[in-house]
Amino acid sequence: MKQKTDVLQGTLALMVLKTLDVLGPQHGYGIARRIEQISGDLLAVNQGTLYPVLLKLEQEGAISSEWGASENNRRARFYRLTREGRKQLQVETQDWQQTAAIIGRFFEVKAEDLS
Amino acid sequence: MKSLRRFLTRLLNSAARRAQEERLREEIEEHIALQTAENLRAGLLPVEARRQAMLKFGGVEAMKEVYRAERGLLLIENLLQDVRYAIRSLHRTPGLTAFVVMTLALGIGMTSGTFSMVDALIFRPYPVPHPSGVVTLVSTTHDSSFNNFSYREYLDIRDKTKSYDGVIANADIEAVGFSPETGATPRVKGGMMVSGNYFHLLGVEPRLGRGFREDEDQVPGRNAVVVLGPDFWKHEFGSNPSVLGRTIRLNGTEFTVIGVAPETFPGLLTFGHPDFYMPLAMAPVFSTNRQKNFFEDRDDRELNVKARLKPGTTLQQAQNELAVVAQNFEREYPKVNRGRGAAVHTQFEMRTRDDDVNWKFGVIFVILALAVLLVACTNVAGLLLSRARTRTREIAVRLAIGAGRFRLIRLLLTESLILASLGGLVGIAIGYGIVQWFQSFQNVIFMTDLPFSIPFRMDTRVLLASVGLSALSALLCGLVPALQSTRVDLVNGLKSADVDAPGRKRLWGRNVLVVAQVSTSLMLLTASFLMVRGFQHTLLEGTGFAKDHLLMTSFDPRLMQYNAAQTQQFYKLLVERVRKAPGVASEALTQNIPLGTDDFDGIAFVPEGFQMPRDRENFSSTMDTVDEGYFETMGIPILRGRGFLASDAADTPRVAIVNEKFAKHYWPGADAVGKHIRLDSRVGTLVEIVGVAQTIKYQNTFEPTDFVYMPLAQHPIARMTLMLRSSGDPLQLVQSVKDVVRALDPNLPMLHTMSYEDFYLNQAVNGPRIAMKLVGSMGVAGLLLAIAGLYGLVAYNVSRRTREIGIRIALGAARADVLRLVMGKGLALVGIGTLIGLAMGFGVEQLMNSMLFNAGGVDIVAYVIVVPSMLLVTMLAAYVPARRASQIAPTQALRYE
Repeated sequence: MKQKTDVLQGTLALMVLKTLDVLGPQHGYGIARRIEQISGDLLAVNQGTLYPVLLKLEQEGAISSEWGASENNRRARFYRLTREGRKQLQVETQDWQQTAAIIGRFFEVKAEDLS
Repeated sequence: MKSLRRFLTRLLNSAARRAQEERLREEIEEHIALQTAENLRAGLLPVEARRQAMLKFGGVEAMKEVYRAERGLLLIENLLQDVRYAIRSLHRTPGLTAFVVMTLALGIGMTSGTFSMVDALIFRPYPVPHPSGVVTLVSTTHDSSFNNFSYREYLDIRDKTKSYDGVIANADIEAVGFSPETGATPRVKGGMMVSGNYFHLLGVEPRLGRGFREDEDQVPGRNAVVVLGPDFWKHEFGSNPSVLGRTIRLNGTEFTVIGVAPETFPGLLTFGHPDFYMPLAMAPVFSTNRQKNFFEDRDDRELNVKARLKPGTTLQQAQNELAVVAQNFEREYPKVNRGRGAAVHTQFEMRTRDDDVNWKFGVIFVILALAVLLVACTNVAGLLLSRARTRTREIAVRLAIGAGRFRLIRLLLTESLILASLGGLVGIAIGYGIVQWFQSFQNVIFMTDLPFSIPFRMDTRVLLASVGLSALSALLCGLVPALQSTRVDLVNGLKSADVDAPGRKRLWGRNVLVVAQVSTSLMLLTASFLMVRGFQHTLLEGTGFAKDHLLMTSFDPRLMQYNAAQTQQFYKLLVERVRKAPGVASEALTQNIPLGTDDFDGIAFVPEGFQMPRDRENFSSTMDTVDEGYFETMGIPILRGRGFLASDAADTPRVAIVNEKFAKHYWPGADAVGKHIRLDSRVGTLVEIVGVAQTIKYQNTFEPTDFVYMPLAQHPIARMTLMLRSSGDPLQLVQSVKDVVRALDPNLPMLHTMSYEDFYLNQAVNGPRIAMKLVGSMGVAGLLLAIAGLYGLVAYNVSRRTREIGIRIALGAARADVLRLVMGKGLALVGIGTLIGLAMGFGVEQLMNSMLFNAGGVDIVAYVIVVPSMLLVTMLAAYVPARRASQIAPTQALRYE
């Protein structure tokens, strides 16, 4: 369980970056909804876990935030990707794809391929 | 990089916590509001819409925890939290806090103040680059392990050793007549002759100009060059750089200023800071000893020799090498070097030499101050312990709701750390005050024209030590209470505010405190009592001569380039004319005054009819040169034989007077009058002893020593002090003396003109008196702290048993029995403490006797006074609460919490 959240945190960060990359500045709820739409039930419960991730990314300098007005005209915190974040996204996307490719190949391997 | 940045932001966040918390709250609110709106659009009822939104968001508090952990630095935040909490709880008991802080401040302040002394006397390194490589070379004999070398010996050592990068030599600071320009009346300043390689080898870069060149120190009398000390340059020349190349007169000879030593180099001595430096080759201008030739005589040992060890050479190697050199000396020059060895010492060894009492006093002061600190810490520990007891329930609650024991200990330690920090701050102020107090005796202790000063100061080293002490005392006084009070039985702790489940383990802490307090304060008190008595004893003992109605003033005709004959003629006329002045009862000349600032000369001799040990060439003693009026003027009785007479002249047989100690030493049971000594060796000049004088105090207040007097006419000395006994106020004679001197030579300065009694009070009495005050105040501080602490601890112990006492009385125990029971415990502890304290006090007494007073034996009076008073205090401390407890009505006592 614990492990799962750790993995979740890592992937969540990447999802946040990607979401901001694609959609531009978003508030927390907006990001949560996008991720929910795309990833299904990953964030169906515990949308709150998003916020520590946002904070971490902000402290690392990958995203920045400022106050703005939300759709219903209330004060909301908007997050945007920084240049550094964009770079980080690129690197991590590559890494991710590489890892995914390798893992994927492993899963495709059948017993006879190894003998 | 990323982690560093994160760390920094977190640090910042820790500071701006409140704003961050607010931001998160707002974000969550907004998030839920948006989700609720979404849910409403999906058709849910308002209440349900919000509920769903919150469900979806998840546990807010748990998330907040993660968020906080992510945001700030947990450790620092916890620490800050502890600090805040501790300050709040200390604030709640301001009286106790103030008391604890002052108690610790007293201990820390006393220790850091006295440490400044020990640091200056022992630990402070030489003010040169790589000071640890600088070692001191000494000549050793049977009588003294720290002798100087002669010029010839220095040259040989310099040329024949290979362990060093170089070998330097310097003479003592000596009085030099200085005039900034020709014609000005010379003033006395302190100059030091040094070898040509002195500054270069020490690595001292001159502030201005240059240091000496080696070739400036090779031909006697050729290079009259001088390097100024930094302070002298500042005060005498207003830090004017144009001083370079100027000509100044030293003892009447023109010298060219070639450089100024840097501020960072006040010299290598602990107390003295030379006003200027001259090359050794200029010794003819400065040499005080007319009997010996500085450049030729191998036994004219005036030079302090230092060297810089080559990297990689050990002290032992240098030592072995020097021993060989000394053996060669002994073989080649048996006459002057028989039984003489040599040794290499580090700075530390030189400063902790056996024959120096200053550092020993320093160390004893620090030990006593540490004892005060220890008493203070036990005091505070006791207070914190009883304070922690009243917080038992609070601690139990904290433990019960899941606080870790370690976390609680940390909280409690933070409290004592804050107390100790405050105590340390005030303590540093107290220490600073003590250092200032030492400094204020500057003029009182050094009544001399020479550049001496008290080197104690509050510098970074002392400050660091104080900080260390504060941390140490925080641990000392905080750890035991913290450990004990967090070992709570939860069930009982929650039920009652004050648990005393009487586990033996829990009581040891307080018992140990009582014992420690009794024993330490007893030791402290014994030690300070002994010291005060020791000083009083030496002061009351008297000096053996009459100190009142004496005027003293010194002359050094060399300052005006008198030759030896002119000098003696001057003294002859001076005495003759001064004698006729009104108000002069008697007059005398002496080379040194008793208990003065300058050391007496030494004399080597072979006593007639005394069986010399096989390995000894001669014995040595201190000596003074005086004229025929000396014994009468100083009121020193001649016990047998006669005093000096005008008939003891340069062309009559040599005579001397010895003191009683000398006479008993070498001719026990016989009359010393009529006996002879030979100077220097078996074949030296024959001197007849014509009188035995009463032994007086010569150099310091802790002695009787052998002493020899020589008549001035037969042993001419240039620098002499005139002593005048007056019928009225001695200072009224000053004008008549001035008139006489002006008539003889208007340019000759009178030095150190003052009443001897004033001088004596400052010089000989004030030092011990200051020490007595210091030690006395430590003793008193220790005692007061101990009484307060002891009373508190014992009384607290007893009052905690109030309920038990009530039960006992309810069950029929007699009040007397209860009293005995309660006091018995206290007395047992005090007894143990007293025994330990006695043992420690005895140890300290032995230590002090061996280090300082050379008296040996036990000072019974100290124990007779100190022990019963300690017992009385503790008994009182046990009795008062015990009595109160035994008088409480049982019904009340049973309800007592």
